[in-house]
Amino acid sequence: MEVVRKRIRSDATSLAVRGFGYVFIGLFAICCLVPFLLVLGTSFTSEGSITKHGFNIWPREFSTFAYKIVFENPGLIVGSYMVTILITVVGTAAGLFLVAMTGYALQRPDFAQRNGISFFIYFTTLFSGGIVPFYLLINQYLKLHDSYLAVLLPGLMSPFLIIMMKSFTKSIPHAITESAKIDGAGDFTIFLRLILPMTTPALATIGLFIALGYWNEWYNAMLFLSPDMKYRPLQLFLYNVITSADFIRNSSAASNVPLRDMPLESMKMATAVVATGPVILFYPFVQRYFIQGITVGAVKG
Amino acid sequence: MGHMKRMAVTIFMLILVISLAACGSGNNGNGNTADNGKSANAGNGGNKAADNGAKDDGKIDTSDFETITYVVLGDKPKNGQLEKVMEKVNTTLKQKANAELQFKWVEWADWQTKYNLLLASGEPLDLITIGTDWLDTWGNAQRGAFLPLNDLLEKYAPQTFAEIPKEDWDQSKFKDDIVMIPEDHYTQWVNHGIYYRGDWAKQFGITQPITDFETLGKYFQGVKDNMKDVVPWDTNGTNGTLYGGFEASYTDNIDLPIATGYANVYTAKSYDERYTVDSPIFNDKFIDFAKLMKQWGDAGYWREDVLNYKGDTRTELKAGQTGADAHHTQTFKGLRVEMDKQQPGSELQMFSYSDTRGNLISMPITHGGTSIGAHSKHPERALMVYDLIRQDPELYHLINYGLEGVQYEIKDGIRTRPAGYDEAKDGFYTDFWGGRIDKNEIPSDTDWSGIGDIYKKYDGIKKPFPYGKFVFDKTSVDPEMTAISQVVGEQLPAILYGKAGDPEKAVQALRDKLKAAGYDKVKDEIQKQLDAFKASEQG
Repeated sequence: MEVVRKRIRSDATSLAVRGFGYVFIGLFAICCLVPFLLVLGTSFTSEGSITKHGFNIWPREFSTFAYKIVFENPGLIVGSYMVTILITVVGTAAGLFLVAMTGYALQRPDFAQRNGISFFIYFTTLFSGGIVPFYLLINQYLKLHDSYLAVLLPGLMSPFLIIMMKSFTKSIPHAITESAKIDGAGDFTIFLRLILPMTTPALATIGLFIALGYWNEWYNAMLFLSPDMKYRPLQLFLYNVITSADFIRNSSAASNVPLRDMPLESMKMATAVVATGPVILFYPFVQRYFIQGITVGAVKG
Repeated sequence: MGHMKRMAVTIFMLILVISLAACGSGNNGNGNTADNGKSANAGNGGNKAADNGAKDDGKIDTSDFETITYVVLGDKPKNGQLEKVMEKVNTTLKQKANAELQFKWVEWADWQTKYNLLLASGEPLDLITIGTDWLDTWGNAQRGAFLPLNDLLEKYAPQTFAEIPKEDWDQSKFKDDIVMIPEDHYTQWVNHGIYYRGDWAKQFGITQPITDFETLGKYFQGVKDNMKDVVPWDTNGTNGTLYGGFEASYTDNIDLPIATGYANVYTAKSYDERYTVDSPIFNDKFIDFAKLMKQWGDAGYWREDVLNYKGDTRTELKAGQTGADAHHTQTFKGLRVEMDKQQPGSELQMFSYSDTRGNLISMPITHGGTSIGAHSKHPERALMVYDLIRQDPELYHLINYGLEGVQYEIKDGIRTRPAGYDEAKDGFYTDFWGGRIDKNEIPSDTDWSGIGDIYKKYDGIKKPFPYGKFVFDKTSVDPEMTAISQVVGEQLPAILYGKAGDPEKAVQALRDKLKAAGYDKVKDEIQKQLDAFKASEQG
């Protein structure tokens, strides 16, 4: 301990590098934080002040009008929140399980068809059917329109995450699987009891990817969930608040839409704050796994 | 060995790719034929049903209760007013046609994709809002999304059928079939121009209405000189209105319904030579115009960072922070009333670009309209419902304005908001843009009373829209058009706002880049198709 400290102290360049690193990263962190503060500040600024003075971190004229419009119908936004949370939790749990299982199975050397099946999965990353077949599949054949499943199912697995999982589980020696087998464990037991606990970093990373995917999901919801549904995912709800405000202000065909004053700029910011809130709270807890998981995946992939 | 294996894999891949590609196109082919088949069937089915439905005495059988869907664009109102109004609408509809109406909303979130997917999906839609100039109606008609209405209209929508003149029905045909009911009896003008403050103009000695760019420049200079801290026209660079202004004020060119991104590069030479392709960009006057814009930009009529500025001009105008704003006549008629409230005495005026030389083409009558879905299960009843909501004043008022006493009151023949009206609680709309009609409209106090004079002025100079049935097929020049759109989007805004350096050089550079992007090839293609269109128009 003593020796180490001495060596660091004696090494002036290293100190300089460290100092520089702290300063640089500190500045960088501030650079990342400023836009967010700007968003937060603007969301509380009155629209008139924005047009006059532009965006400010500290609101010149404090106003909660933007939030008032976003929360005009509190029941709706709470409902949308619930839907999004539900979809995110269920989707992440199910997706994680499926991706982990697929990734593990695809790298087991004693699984004869692994290359063939992998190929089919990777192949879909090169070609896609396009949006019309996708729409027809979900809407006409699976009849999932106006059902939360239409949002849940398409996001469950993605080839990219399977590849990541596969390369991560590759780092676990096959001998472990084999020894467990000799001890009489079935494949499913091996996966649940041995493999899953060893892949926590990867699971956290992939889980975060899936969760963010579901949290930010609005496109599938836009396509398949009609306005007749009472509650739809948060992002779609907010997107609609913005686009309709935008449209009302720039309306061309809509001459009989009642005009009202829309604090568009501050409203955009308010929706951004509403939409990011929970993710910001949740992110620091998985972040440490995130770094580990993504590096391992990168090195071995 | 390894080599052999690699070869085999490569060959396998190739086969897969080719077979997939083949598969794809095969599917497309099938899809199309299936679609055509279906729409033809639906057509037949509809006609048959019509025959069966009609009893010998000519009465229409409405013994089965039907639900009619109507695809509209807009966000569904969430405050419960829609349900209340629709209840009344449906009570009346049940009496008159034994049917009920249900709106199917396509929200503004990515509406183009959603609307087209909905039509492509083969869902049984009854009534569908259409617009040939903004909803790709011809494309959808080509894909078989709409039911031919030829034999149904007279019987099931008799009032509408009689009201719309034959020329307008002709404009609504795809090949030989009527595929849409145009909103041709509703006055709306999307004639663009610049709004300016009448009170300020007077102060600067501009006593006559502004009708050209030179006087507009004087007005801007006046604002610059007399109003402290006011940007004469605080616009942003995404606004391409000046290009249209140049076209209408300095040339005889008229717009072709061919979009090339930020601005339409191709126009027709003039109304008289409407089958000859031309481009305002290659007109010598464009250089003069670019010079004028440079002069305006240098004089500070808009802000220095106009190309990056993202502020909202209209809000500023209402706050008295800018002297001008730009949009079209429909917006003006509401904005004028708002300005009278928010900036009393401002006397907002509009310089519409057609004022300079009377270069004005009317809107296509199919800017709004309604079609019946190819897979509709009961097109006859859908037409009956359409006829009712378009022609029956009671239903029309319900659908467009809501309930009298809740959403509106009539005072001296003018629609106004009742006392205690709260937008959040009582607000109502249906975004019914597929069959509005002047005779059933009640004037509103949100519309400027002087708008009639402007309409009259326009009616005096307008020329009929000549391209109602011209559908440009861009398949053979798609990449070139994309490239052209890109060039226009990159180069033109800077020229329009005088930020491209030497105007002559900038215009030359724009022209060169357009040429390199395939300007001539596209021009030839448009000319070819216009020639064919001309031949078909003139029989």
